[in-house]
Amino acid sequence: MLWNYRRKVAKLYRTLSFGMSVCWIVPILFFLCLSSPVKAEDVIRFGASLSLTGRMSTEGRLVKDGYDFYVKHINALGGIPIKGKKYKVEIVYYDDESDPKTAVRLVEKLIVQDNIKFLLGPYSSTCTIPASSVSEKYKIPMVEANGASNPIFERGYKYIFATLNTIDQYFGSIVKMASEVNPRPKTIAFINENSLAPQLANDAAAREAKKLGIKVVYKEKYPTGTKDLSSMLAEIRDKRPDILLGAGYTEGMILLVKQAKEMGVKVKMFGLLLGPTLPGFVEDLRKDADYLLEPIQWSSNMAWKDDVFGYTAPEFARLFEQDFGYKPDYHPPQAAAALLVYHHALQKAGVLDPQKVRDAIAQTDIMTFYGPIRFNEQGMNIGKGMAVVQIQNGKPVVVYPKSVAEGSLIYPIPRSQ
Amino acid sequence: MLYWQVLINGVLLGGLYACAAIGFSVIWGVMNLINLAHGSMIILGAYITYVINSATGLDPFLTIPISGAALFLLGFMVQKYLINHVIEGSVFMTLILTFGLDLLLVNMTLLLFTADFRSITPSYAGLGWEIGTIRVPYTRLGVFFFALALTLILSLLMNRTKLGNAIKATSFDKDAAGLVGVNVFQVYAITFGLGAAMAGMAGSLISVLHSFSPVLGGTFTMKAFVIVVLGGLGSVPGAIVGGLILGITENFASVLLEAGYKDAISFILLVAILVLRPRGILGKQFFAEV
Repeated sequence: MLWNYRRKVAKLYRTLSFGMSVCWIVPILFFLCLSSPVKAEDVIRFGASLSLTGRMSTEGRLVKDGYDFYVKHINALGGIPIKGKKYKVEIVYYDDESDPKTAVRLVEKLIVQDNIKFLLGPYSSTCTIPASSVSEKYKIPMVEANGASNPIFERGYKYIFATLNTIDQYFGSIVKMASEVNPRPKTIAFINENSLAPQLANDAAAREAKKLGIKVVYKEKYPTGTKDLSSMLAEIRDKRPDILLGAGYTEGMILLVKQAKEMGVKVKMFGLLLGPTLPGFVEDLRKDADYLLEPIQWSSNMAWKDDVFGYTAPEFARLFEQDFGYKPDYHPPQAAAALLVYHHALQKAGVLDPQKVRDAIAQTDIMTFYGPIRFNEQGMNIGKGMAVVQIQNGKPVVVYPKSVAEGSLIYPIPRSQ
Repeated sequence: MLYWQVLINGVLLGGLYACAAIGFSVIWGVMNLINLAHGSMIILGAYITYVINSATGLDPFLTIPISGAALFLLGFMVQKYLINHVIEGSVFMTLILTFGLDLLLVNMTLLLFTADFRSITPSYAGLGWEIGTIRVPYTRLGVFFFALALTLILSLLMNRTKLGNAIKATSFDKDAAGLVGVNVFQVYAITFGLGAAMAGMAGSLISVLHSFSPVLGGTFTMKAFVIVVLGGLGSVPGAIVGGLILGITENFASVLLEAGYKDAISFILLVAILVLRPRGILGKQFFAEV
């Protein structure tokens, strides 16, 4: 009996292993058939290392969906027309697990092994800074959409370009808007978390304010993870500034709004680096969130219209939701815009040579559903500025610049608040 | 005038700190157990208040008994069915266990409430008394008095009741306490329950003043650590003194020196106390002995 049973098991094992090998061979053959006969020159391949898992995976996926939006829509039109011939588009993705070291390795792999000539950016400044050093080394252009820190562009690199506004431009629009309102504010106070991005934002805004003749009466930083800002705010209250700008991350920003009210800080204009448009912020702070300002990269009700597909920003938002099942924030359109930059540059260069395409990118001057794009020598987008939203009756309303505004700024903040 | 305001801010913050640290202090003092999940228990209390407040609109201060009771139950169970099994072993075992418990609580709250920052804004938030140029916000004053009241109740419980005597006897010498008829493990479970309840109630208070997210527990555990070392292990008045000192120092540091250094100042204070008076300002030596 036992002998018989063993034979049966052996037979079953042989059958299974044969089955397994067939399982392997069939897809391998299938892929070989797929990949070899297609004429390689009819497809333009882009490469990107993205944070698809790990702590930044939520944002990483938003970026991937943005890139994929362009691919889907351009391939539906038959591809990018270059000199009368249409090229389909394909993106090779790798997952860097939200780790900058892995991103570096993968970008090198994309260039050396996969022979990618045109790179798209990863997610976050921490990944973009080292990844762009690799593309620079190999002289391969990288158009990124999600690294906003200035140090990316301050190294004299020639092959890095970004569609989004850098962190030092965040408060620029609010300060500029302040210089145009009536009565004109005379004094401004700054408070920020002691970390890189908030510091850059406030330093740049303070320079801008001085330039426009607004006096800086207070500028201090608080340590990360602080539980109390009340005494700093008491000091600010006693200096009576017209404007208060706070830069930090969510925890600090909520604390700032609550304690400013507790300490009786009464300013005419109150701006935060981030917060009001995050989930739960307005919902929890209720009317205390009213009149707060926040700089934003993009909003789906802006009046931009791109010249490849002819989509306006609202149309982009609608089509994107149709394709991916959720309403886009600013991440997907700025990612898609990176491919629009390549689209125009490839058409202009007329060849698939990375050097020539890089030169064409440098001369970019285009309009997209994400806004206008034009690069300075460092590769930063100076075509568009940040827009400003104000929370009015619990809803974010774009109030600046005038060309894309949905409503007018409420200034000064009504006294009862 | 600014300095008076700073002093008041410091005192108000100190009261909250004391309340947040007291549970940590009692557990450490009685069982020589460092509860690394203390901060997460505070956050759990804050979420209990948040859920009740957003579902029924009940005032956050009135949810304190509920979060206290819920956390007492949780703490009691955890000690009875988990920690009591390893408490006789080395201190590392309890450290590892409470660390694991912390991870479990953090991930559970992440799953339930996501990582979004939450806060509660009652209708009277931001209002306050104005005395000259000094402002005393109602919410902070309310939090301060509740924190002091809770701490006092705990102090009375420890000093005036049979249970309190049993807890103290156990902390002095658990073998002797066992010999005179104290059920040591039962006392441990109740003590951990009380510590957790204090954490939960402090969480309810914190939810009114701060924003919270499941991952923020660690910063509260850290503060509790500093306060307990400053004030003295296992001592209720010690926690109040430690909390007040930390609150006032932080506030003055943020105005007199560059605000970025205020954490550094608190830790310099901690080191100084450790060098000059290792048992803490109001600590008695035998509390910490194993």
